[in-house]
Amino acid sequence: MQDLSIPIAAQISMRRLLVGYLISLLVGLLLGIMISRSKYLDETLSPLLLGMQTLPSICWIPLAILWFGLGEESIIFVIVIGAIFSISMAVVSGIKNVPPLFIRAAKTMGAKGWHSYTTVVIPAALPSIISGMKQGWSFAWRALMAGELLTPTSGLGYVLIMGRDLHDMNQVVGIMLVIVIMGLVIDRLIFARAENAILYRWGLSRN
Amino acid sequence: MLEISGVYKTFTQKNGATNALQDVHLSIKKGEFVVLVGPSGCGKSTLLNIIAGLEKPTSGQVCKEGRPILEAGPDRMVMFQEAALFPWLKVIENVEYGMKIKGLGKRERREKAIHFLKMVHLTRFATAYPHELSVGMRQRVALARALSMDSDILLMDEPFAALDSQTKSILHTELQQIWCATKKTIIFVTHNVDEAVLLADRVIVMTANPGRIKKEFRVQLGRPRNIEDIDLARTVGQILGELKEEVEKVAKAELDSDWTLENNSFVPGSNTHLGNGI
Repeated sequence: MQDLSIPIAAQISMRRLLVGYLISLLVGLLLGIMISRSKYLDETLSPLLLGMQTLPSICWIPLAILWFGLGEESIIFVIVIGAIFSISMAVVSGIKNVPPLFIRAAKTMGAKGWHSYTTVVIPAALPSIISGMKQGWSFAWRALMAGELLTPTSGLGYVLIMGRDLHDMNQVVGIMLVIVIMGLVIDRLIFARAENAILYRWGLSRN
Repeated sequence: MLEISGVYKTFTQKNGATNALQDVHLSIKKGEFVVLVGPSGCGKSTLLNIIAGLEKPTSGQVCKEGRPILEAGPDRMVMFQEAALFPWLKVIENVEYGMKIKGLGKRERREKAIHFLKMVHLTRFATAYPHELSVGMRQRVALARALSMDSDILLMDEPFAALDSQTKSILHTELQQIWCATKKTIIFVTHNVDEAVLLADRVIVMTANPGRIKKEFRVQLGRPRNIEDIDLARTVGQILGELKEEVEKVAKAELDSDWTLENNSFVPGSNTHLGNGI
């Protein structure tokens, strides 16, 4: 018997989401930095990333099940695939749009190599990186739902599909509301705060 | 201490190559205030960037105390036309940035930063973010940041060009005071001849296409200088005379072929029928 109570389901989903999102954040950042550092990688991988991003993550589910079996890993894989491309693309474009003047100024003050990267390039690209992270987060949610709806295991998506099977629309709409609320809360608590802090520092906020 | 010898710089673009600099020789003594003036496109900023090590000459070299300059370094601080402050750092952190790279301790850094902010009269805004300052104040912070590095050479690339004229004249006075107090070698690029004569020990007039040094003027006037000073105005006049044909040459290259400076500097007034009523 599966326990279908919402808190447990939400907890399971949340854990998957966090694990998948953190992996995609880490890999996405590294991938983005690597691409922005090398022209060769940029030319070969950038179109590929764009293409992969247009591919809905749900398309990966059959392969994920083949590779990882019905279970935790395949859902996490789908989440990672769902979020990674928008994050790394945001990192690449953020780094490309860093004003050259900042880099020149840092150079004349003796900043070199990795140090100038961490103290100038990344902070300067941060507004764009944060918006990519935000976008990645919403893609991760979608991927999570796709994964849970299509692989009957556990979590919010599974409870939702159970509601469908039992013709219990209360449960379906209830889960939808829970997802919306969780999304909003996390955005308010994390992303909106980070974004506002940066916009304030840069003098870009509207009030 | 700074020896520029036989520097050439060619930019290759789709529509051919431009000679930004051709056979430039110049030597600058320690503690000298040298101003490069010239029409737009005469390569004065390029020359400054080469001295800074931000660009490489096509041939020739720049030596500082006998050693060739190969890359940018903290011994040659640059002030750009824009302040180039980092928007994610507070004013004081911006000033400390370079000293941090230099490896100064936290307390020493803070003390020095406050010292130099005091020099540009901005201690009140130490914890503000750059966007909260006016353009002139940002340029002051950039000056404090440049001074904080204790470089013996300060390179300034039209640093006051974007400022309104009141702010500019205040900063001119302060820059002269700071120069007298710190004894730095300053190389200053501008297209404004008044500014050049006001600040310089030596004004280097450059020509465009190809970029070359045309003439040198020594300005031997007491400081602080005043823009209304008659001797200063005379020197400005001499330099402007030298620049006139250069400006015409550049404008001719950009405009239609029927344009000449003589024809187009005459403005017919509304009062052209003098004596009609007699």
